[in-house]
Amino acid sequence: MAQLESIILYCLKQLNKERTVYSIYHLLNGKKSSQTIQDAHLFNLKKFFGIMDVLTRETFNQRIETLLNQKLIYKVKDQTFFPTPSGDLFLKNNPLLRELNGWEFHQLSTLFWERLSLLIQVASNFEYHETNYVPIQKNKDVHIWLKSTLKDMKVSKNKMASQIYAELLDCFSENKGLDPSVLVYRLTGYQQIGLTGTQLAQKLSMSYYDYYLQFVHIIHFMMETLRVNPDRFPVLSFLYNGLIKSNELTQSSKKTWQLLTKGYSLEHIAQIRQLKLSTIEDHLVEIALNIDRFSIHEYVDPNLQDEILRSSKSAGSRQLKLIKAMVTRASYFQIRLVLAKFGDKAWS
Amino acid sequence: MELELLLKKYFGFSFFKIGQKEVISSLLNGEHTLAMLPTGTGKSLCYQLPGYILEGQILIISPLLSLMQDQVEQMKRFGEKRVVALNSFLSVEEKDYALKFLTKYKFIFISPEMLRIPYIIKRLQSLSISLFVVDEAHCISQWGYDFRPDYSKLGEIRNALGNPLTLALTATATAKVRQDIVQSLRLNKVKKIESSIDRPNIGLYVEKVPDYREKEERVLELAAKLKKPGIIYFSSKKAAEHMAEMLINKQICRASAYHGGMEQDARILIQQQFIHDQLDIICATSAFGMGVNKENIRFVIHYHMPMQIESYLQEIGRAGRDGKPSIAILLYSPGDEQLPIQLSESELPSNQQIDWLFNKTDLYIGRNFGEGQLAETLKELGGFSEVQWRIVEELVNRPPQDVKSPQHLKEMIQDFVEHRLQAKKANIFRMKQWIDAKTCRRKFMMEYFDDRSNTVVTPCCDQCGLVIEPYYQSVSRRHFSTSESSWKDYLIKLLNNSGLSK
Ligand SMILES: [Zn+2]
Repeated sequence: MAQLESIILYCLKQLNKERTVYSIYHLLNGKKSSQTIQDAHLFNLKKFFGIMDVLTRETFNQRIETLLNQKLIYKVKDQTFFPTPSGDLFLKNNPLLRELNGWEFHQLSTLFWERLSLLIQVASNFEYHETNYVPIQKNKDVHIWLKSTLKDMKVSKNKMASQIYAELLDCFSENKGLDPSVLVYRLTGYQQIGLTGTQLAQKLSMSYYDYYLQFVHIIHFMMETLRVNPDRFPVLSFLYNGLIKSNELTQSSKKTWQLLTKGYSLEHIAQIRQLKLSTIEDHLVEIALNIDRFSIHEYVDPNLQDEILRSSKSAGSRQLKLIKAMVTRASYFQIRLVLAKFGDKAWS
Repeated sequence: MELELLLKKYFGFSFFKIGQKEVISSLLNGEHTLAMLPTGTGKSLCYQLPGYILEGQILIISPLLSLMQDQVEQMKRFGEKRVVALNSFLSVEEKDYALKFLTKYKFIFISPEMLRIPYIIKRLQSLSISLFVVDEAHCISQWGYDFRPDYSKLGEIRNALGNPLTLALTATATAKVRQDIVQSLRLNKVKKIESSIDRPNIGLYVEKVPDYREKEERVLELAAKLKKPGIIYFSSKKAAEHMAEMLINKQICRASAYHGGMEQDARILIQQQFIHDQLDIICATSAFGMGVNKENIRFVIHYHMPMQIESYLQEIGRAGRDGKPSIAILLYSPGDEQLPIQLSESELPSNQQIDWLFNKTDLYIGRNFGEGQLAETLKELGGFSEVQWRIVEELVNRPPQDVKSPQHLKEMIQDFVEHRLQAKKANIFRMKQWIDAKTCRRKFMMEYFDDRSNTVVTPCCDQCGLVIEPYYQSVSRRHFSTSESSWKDYLIKLLNNSGLSK
């Protein structure tokens, strides 16, 4: 198993030598910067956004070093790499985890896991008529959530545990390629305390990071399954209910967005905030990526938008330089803005 | 009034543990009480039970946030819902709510830093507090090993609350510290209940080993042979992790590290695994043990030397709560005292840091001297640790009335640091003397706490002829089960009460 390596190889391929290797590190860490958020969109890497916030720079560097030593990647220029043919082969032999969906779920997966583990603990102790036990989750919001959710569930209390059991098996059966061990042994219940991530990685003889990815993978898989089929999982679907992604804007972009909605011009905002105009432009690109109701007509004439989109399609590239050469009257800012707003649609 | 009946009704116990009944009776007689009870005797019962008799609120001041949370949760689990903890864990909304409906609570836990806030004092003044409890009361004294500047103001606060009936609780305090507690809280008449600090079922054993390598070997050997479960204490997180890894890799037992640097989730799991006998040995720093109620711990090993006899006593006191024979082993190799000395120095701001701070001219910008609030950024810029900063903040933000100038304040802080360092070094020296003792270790320890109870204990300590072999397990057992259950079995066991028989 070499999931992290596969993901890095895949990302390098997608980035197509246009970014340094650290953009992958920031992507996996879910760094809230305009650049990283744009890259995730631009290079179709949204599914990996924020899936490994535990990854340290040190470990990341080590992995890159190893990939170089094994000749799976080669150096293009400083801090920029690309897979070799054996790298491609490696990727083929170690396919990506298919259910990852970092962009949609990374903020919510911790909360989802906290809900799941507390629900199981409560249901299990209930099944054994035990009322005195130490809750494994300290997050108060999760306790409040469970308290109110238990009232809403239409399952009688003494059938709850077996219902959860049936639903879990049903959910796992949806994807035969998954190994539920990476999740199940971490669950706590009556007289049985779950393992920590580190302990389970050891038990399954995995490296911690590979284990971690497998865990995130199964969590994302469950979230997606419950989101799509709420009726099939009358109890478990509550775990997903009401998990709402807060928008991804960086603090600074949030301020810009507030001023923008009050009708200030870009120049004026730059003045008020004592920032460079280019920084405010970066914020706008980020806003275009995240906020659907944000219209870019004011900054790019609709005809020009069309032209940029068509050029980007025909050039088969997201490289700004290429597009700029074809649509000379557009500024870089305008091209970035259009790609941010419509990038996904233009490319799918 | 039958105290035993209340004990049964509210706590489900039939008998009081040592000292508990004396403390409760003293309080119900309206006497201020200083209680020194050994660790693991259920100190919290001493204020909970009176709470069911006395009208009005019970206010409990406790310095350790995590312990406070544990106590509150435990009370709630046992059905007492009228309990609240006012500390920095609360969100603004929760704090507002709690303060608004303060009269609805019977038991109010509060951290000393919250007592700095005038509004909170005001709210507390509107209550009728029938019992003022100071937990870990040794923190009041400069001579105590865990002095907290916040605690030295508790006398004032008690005064502001109308001098309510007071209970000061501690597990370990020398006579000097006990005297400080009484003075600082301004208790003019106090009943002292000092049960013996001795735990007769815990054997004391010190072993000298030539160097670190042999110490490691020896720990591995002891871990294999001793009756488990047990705790091995370390002063460093790294060393604790390293040892846990070795115990696992060499398949000696089911082990795990535990320290403050770990994620909270993992800490809870490991604590619970240990309590549920899924782990045999915890390799821990002093962060482990508070609030862990496990009766059958058979040994406590100290890999590093503790910083004072008080904490040593606390830590070994986690063994043998079931009253069965248990052993405390301290491994010493030459030069071991250097580590605690370094640690105690690092807990105090250095002279360079103090100089640097007072060279910052913007320390008191726009304010009268002595009314400033230290900017939080200074902490980072000056490279102050959490502990160091707590001291600086307390001394600078609330300087005593008689401080005349910044220079004077600086000298005071330097004096304070020097004093604390001396006190800490003296503690380490006492600990070292205990290690080097050629006479009974138990006697030495009891004399240190002016404990005059004289019971004869056998087996007592290595100086009195205690040998280690009786503490070994009879058959060497290895807990690595060969029959692994599948994830499905695991899930069935969790969620289906009759699942296994099916
Ligand atoms: Zn002795």
